[in-house]
Amino acid sequence: MSESCSCSCGVSCKPLLYACSGAANTGYLSDAVARKIMGNGNGSMTCLAAVGAKLSGFVETAKSSNNIVIDGCPTACGKKIFDTHNLDYKHIILTDFDVQKGKTEITPDLIEKITIKVESKIQGVT
Amino acid sequence: MVIKILGSGCPKCKQLEEETRKAVSESGTEADIQKVSDMDQIMDYGVMMTPALVIDEEVKSVGKVLKAGEIKKFL
Repeated sequence: MSESCSCSCGVSCKPLLYACSGAANTGYLSDAVARKIMGNGNGSMTCLAAVGAKLSGFVETAKSSNNIVIDGCPTACGKKIFDTHNLDYKHIILTDFDVQKGKTEITPDLIEKITIKVESKIQGVT
Repeated sequence: MVIKILGSGCPKCKQLEEETRKAVSESGTEADIQKVSDMDQIMDYGVMMTPALVIDEEVKSVGKVLKAGEIKKFL
């Protein structure tokens, strides 16, 4: 994690959220949770795929930010992308919250419940 | 070479522009230095913090005021 906030020009220092957004139910949940956290004002979503694609603006932004990688399952694609670039991040895996890949139905109630749990894990990441 | 300074026009953006002009001048590089303040254009680069330095469409730094010596390494 960055030692200090390096934002300038009045841009907020909210952590950046990268959801794996994979095809499984857990990927869908990662996306929904990240959007909910952003809606709650506790982070800003940006594109994990763009970091994976090595788009320079996204990679350089990640180097200067407090990053939260939300992977749906232990395959941990998000973590692997960040490790490839040697980037700092806090890692969340949603199957750690009693969600089963390919089985658990993703409902609005579940999204809300998991969002609260993830938000408690990322408190203080600024 | 096209160099873009991404930012709203805040003091740090201006500092980065000054350092960039210094780096270009000292290195004798021919460069077209442009300022980009439109937020949509800035976001198109995936940049979430400014100022940012873009050289020939590659983002070299985000959220930092690089010194001329550091910028010269990119030229």
